[in-house]
Amino acid sequence: MISTAGKYFDGISSNPQDIELLLDEISAGLRFGTSSDQNILWPIHEITFQHIGNSLEIRNKHHSLALINVNNTDFATGLIAFLKAKGHLTWYQRILQMGFKAYLSIAILILGFIVAGYIFIIPWIAEKAVLLIPRHYDISMGHTFYNQYLKDSHVDSSKTEALNLFAEQLQLHNTLKLRFTVVSSPTVNAFSLPDGNIIVYTGLIGLMKDYDELAGLIGHEVSHVNNRHSMKMLCRNLSGYLFISAVLSDVNGIMAIIGDNVHNLQSLSYSRQFEREADEQGTDLMMLNGINPKGMTDLFTRLKSSEKVSIPAFISSHPITTDRIETINRLIKTTPHQFKPNPKLEELFLQVKE
Amino acid sequence: MENEIIENEIPELKDYKLSFHGQGKTYFGIVIVNWLLTVITLGFYFPWAKARNLQFLYGSTALENDRFAFHGTGKEMFIGFLKSIVIFGVIYGILFLFIYLDMTMLGAIIFYFAFIAILPIAIHGSYRYRFSRTSWRGIRFGYRGDRSELFVNFFKWIFFTIITLGIYGAWMEVKLRKYLLSNVRAGNVEFKYKGIGSEYFLLNIKGYLLTIITLGIYSFWWYKDLFAYYVDNLSLQKENQQIKLRSIATVGGIFKMAMGNFLLVIFTLGLGYAWAITRTMNFMTSNIKLEGNMDLNTIEQTEDDYNDATGDDLTGLLDINFII
Repeated sequence: MISTAGKYFDGISSNPQDIELLLDEISAGLRFGTSSDQNILWPIHEITFQHIGNSLEIRNKHHSLALINVNNTDFATGLIAFLKAKGHLTWYQRILQMGFKAYLSIAILILGFIVAGYIFIIPWIAEKAVLLIPRHYDISMGHTFYNQYLKDSHVDSSKTEALNLFAEQLQLHNTLKLRFTVVSSPTVNAFSLPDGNIIVYTGLIGLMKDYDELAGLIGHEVSHVNNRHSMKMLCRNLSGYLFISAVLSDVNGIMAIIGDNVHNLQSLSYSRQFEREADEQGTDLMMLNGINPKGMTDLFTRLKSSEKVSIPAFISSHPITTDRIETINRLIKTTPHQFKPNPKLEELFLQVKE
Repeated sequence: MENEIIENEIPELKDYKLSFHGQGKTYFGIVIVNWLLTVITLGFYFPWAKARNLQFLYGSTALENDRFAFHGTGKEMFIGFLKSIVIFGVIYGILFLFIYLDMTMLGAIIFYFAFIAILPIAIHGSYRYRFSRTSWRGIRFGYRGDRSELFVNFFKWIFFTIITLGIYGAWMEVKLRKYLLSNVRAGNVEFKYKGIGSEYFLLNIKGYLLTIITLGIYSFWWYKDLFAYYVDNLSLQKENQQIKLRSIATVGGIFKMAMGNFLLVIFTLGLGYAWAITRTMNFMTSNIKLEGNMDLNTIEQTEDDYNDATGDDLTGLLDINFII
């Protein structure tokens, strides 16, 4: 039996009543007398408590406004131990007894789970999700973008025709019908859309010296289309973003912001991975078509020298150009291949370039 | 008893102590456990987490060393959350219906109108719920504002704010605050707020301009003024007794708190959040002075129970922070 001095508020007035509070272990309850000489017993299965700092506030479930306030650590410890022994601590109260080290371990555990989920589970889910998305989504997505994008651009129709003929000469492993468009613009850029539309700017073509460089560009862009890189990127970004914001914004905004930024950096590395894949498969396509794969590295070398002027979207967020050139050179060295001049491509290249 | 002696005379002026007793590491446990359970339950634990959070914060705040209490439960908030989802679902449903019928303009107008209309209803519900679930020394708080009155006023204020291109916004904010706070009570103690729109407007104009000129440095002075404008205009009244609130926050104090919190959160990748909150609570409570002649032992229970948390969840979904 332990007892302590406490304050009792009856839930009718704010007047504190000084009480002597007794933990009655025999009748399993808290016993105290009020100023109006009432003797009250709160059975332990009816009480709830909150213990913050040195203050213990005890309430009765059936009379939620009345409360007893105790500032006595020994009594608090004794009461909590008694409730625990009698099985009257809720699971939540038991968790709150765990202490700082346990919380820190939980925090690290969840963070570990998040990192693992992000690195291993998200890319896997995204990869699977892409397979479930019908190809016609890629097509309609590409169409929408194409129509929007080319609304204000000037298409060079004769060069466009020549470029399409150029590509028709090549075996490109494509499953979608490819459509090339040449846009008159000094921008040094080219990009592919998920529906098989590939847009090349005259600014980039102007830099090229030989048809094998154009073949390299086509190989690179077509590999993006063949591998559904746009859709994969979208799925990865979206699932990663959903995951991060769902798991982190429950804690606080700052953590969610940090998470988002990490995610943005990560998505740059995804796109680098896709670029590398397109470089390698593009080079393979060149070798398959009997074109000198050195065209690919020549193209990068030219882009690298023009980089000082402006960093084209074609290589920004991409692996450092020097790295890419090295990777391609290694691939060329290790893959047996043959090439011979192709006058037809040469002729079409000159038409595209004029 | 003591209180009978003082019944007919006005006691002398005295100070009342407002304090915060929550420790960062205790709060950290609550935040982390909430986080764990929310992740495990795929978010369904969120209303319970919110209740635990409020229970801790209220329970750690004390007036004259007696703690406040939050009696709301996760279940109430979960039901409120479901109702809010339905309300938003209906609004979005109407929007999509109109888009489908190719009447996007009309749909958008109804959509925005509905959103503005929800605001006062949500704020009203939130005040009703939060205060009815708050108590001190066993005395329940309450909010006695009238929903239709707030609704009409709110539309009037929004209208003025729009036609004055936002200038009336300062008046709107003060009027809203005045309406809400002046309808709050704790038993038979009534809250009063006496801010004036024009003062608030000038304070903000000055703060805004000087903050720009000083490249942000003045923002600490601005914040100090805003905090003081909130606190200094607030008072509590019970019959002929009253308590006045006064801010003693200094620019240095605000700077220390804000910078400390910033570093604390950034260098722990967000885990220091719990300490940032307890530091902020500490700062606020220790910088509000209460002075008056009210006898806090004679407050009587006056308010009814109210358990509909929909308004509170609506404000949560709308991302409006509860103002007090």
